[in-house]
Amino acid sequence: MIKKIWLIFLRDLKVNKRDFIAVYIIAFPILFAVGINLLTPSINDTTVNLALIEGENPAQATYLKDFAKVEVFKDVLAVEQRVAKRDNIVGILPKGNDYYILQQGNEAEGVVDFAKALLTFYEQDVQIANTNAEIIELGRTVPPLKKLLVNIAILFTSVLGGMLIALNIVEEKVDRTIRAIHLSPISRKTFLLGKSLMGVLLPIYGTVVLVWITGFRGVNIFQMLVIVLVSTIISLLIGLIEGLNNDDVINATANIKILMLPMAAAIVAIELLADKWQKFFYWIPFYWAYKGNDVVLSQIATWQQIIGYSCIVLLLSSVVYIYLAPKIRKGLE
Amino acid sequence: MIEVSNLYHSYNKDGKFAVKDVSFEVKEGEIFGFLGPSGAGKSTTQNILTGLLQLQQGNVIVAGYDVKAISNKMFNKIGMSFEQSNVYSKMSAKENLDFYRKLFDVKTREPEELLELVGLGDKANVRAGEFSKGMKHRLTFARSMINNPLLWFLDEPTTGLDPAIASEIKDIIKAENKKGVTVFLTTHNMYIADDLCDRVAFIVDAEIKLIDSPKNLKLQYGDKLVEIEYIKDGETLKETLSTIQEDDLKHLQDIIGKYEVQTMHTKEATLEEIFIKVTGRGLA
Repeated sequence: MIKKIWLIFLRDLKVNKRDFIAVYIIAFPILFAVGINLLTPSINDTTVNLALIEGENPAQATYLKDFAKVEVFKDVLAVEQRVAKRDNIVGILPKGNDYYILQQGNEAEGVVDFAKALLTFYEQDVQIANTNAEIIELGRTVPPLKKLLVNIAILFTSVLGGMLIALNIVEEKVDRTIRAIHLSPISRKTFLLGKSLMGVLLPIYGTVVLVWITGFRGVNIFQMLVIVLVSTIISLLIGLIEGLNNDDVINATANIKILMLPMAAAIVAIELLADKWQKFFYWIPFYWAYKGNDVVLSQIATWQQIIGYSCIVLLLSSVVYIYLAPKIRKGLE
Repeated sequence: MIEVSNLYHSYNKDGKFAVKDVSFEVKEGEIFGFLGPSGAGKSTTQNILTGLLQLQQGNVIVAGYDVKAISNKMFNKIGMSFEQSNVYSKMSAKENLDFYRKLFDVKTREPEELLELVGLGDKANVRAGEFSKGMKHRLTFARSMINNPLLWFLDEPTTGLDPAIASEIKDIIKAENKKGVTVFLTTHNMYIADDLCDRVAFIVDAEIKLIDSPKNLKLQYGDKLVEIEYIKDGETLKETLSTIQEDDLKHLQDIIGKYEVQTMHTKEATLEEIFIKVTGRGLA
């Protein structure tokens, strides 16, 4: 049985390598991971950029470099041109004996206020040693934006696994080859398992790639894979049902996108909504998968938490399975 | 090899039967033709025999297996060539056969040998999606032989093929049958049935009307006829007359005595004519 499941998977893989959409889906985790790396700053990146005139006040430049990323330019015009660019950067330019702040106008308020404060600190000769603030570290070692994007990408990859299953089943339907498979010594259960394997292995490979490329190499990969495996069940079921009920690739993939809605709702609820609203999203398996991924990516997950989240996802997916199983069986006839 | 008794099937389970009280048996080594017009119940019966449709009522034994509790092992013994070709279009002809052969638990035939047999030897590495309809049909036919089936289901095996290829396919069927393979042939083509079948069953409106060998049917139902073409008053006329009925015989003698006969052939009733006579229905 295992040999035949593997055989069906290898056939799907061979055909997927010849299909542009499937290749794109397989390459997606790599592309997304590279994109995350390009777009998000690391935990040590400063978010305040300052533009100064080169050699105008070297002591000031040295002072400011301790608190912000400083870029120097040959004259006022060059600073103005730099500030006019799209990113958050403000200029500090001389005016008589004083300095003024040059801004584009759409910079974040905090960036401008921080620049003002730095200028004042420099003028007042405030040193780090002068502070009496007590430092309390929250222990956040992971960039929050990056963690959020990686978490979304991991969930998204599981949905793509479902999409790939649907693509492969639609191919069988369009070529009418399911009938030929039914007349071979392969049981329908073996056929379904073979077709599902792609939807399990893609998220596993995708998660490993995402975690590796984005630099989350310190996470407990086993905890991560447990969450990924249980969260693929729902995508897998939807992939099977959409594949069996559609004769057209575009329709099948479009219908699978419906999964994005509860996924997005779960993420928005966790990231943006207050505690009192959370209970309205408990029914979404992605809600618990996201929470599980979040603690794993933050490297604070305990096995108790992982097992807890996994059981909830399994339970919710079982309900979906009970509802869809007869439809899947009927679709195979 | 096949035993069917009191088979009924209703798609909507509403009392309207696609197959009604069908009973027949196919002996080992026989070529059995299942003939009837579209919608008569041929495909429904075949789909039940092969397990593609669930048995609702009746008893069916195929290759020693009870279809009520179908065993996957049964499929090692049977092969099926579909009317509509069904091969993976993104895979080459050889890849199609290579993949399919690995699904079986019995000794299989070499893909190259089968492709050669159906005239696709030089297309082994061409993707099936690039094949013509006829070539896909031949690939489907070749695939049905891959597991050396003891019982071979053939659904319209020569449909869409040019006469030369159709003749080759018929020769392959005859050759496999000589090796001992039992053939269950579903068709509405009476010529191929006449040429190949040891026995035929006529099915119309979900029921089997008769089962017999083509030879017996011709003896039982076929009239002996003469087709004559002659010139009368400068005009060429054509008539088909019985050599048994007295009036026709007298008329034939008149024609031969009075007019210039152009052509005259004795004519045996075709299976199609017998089908129409027995069932009162055409095959369209």
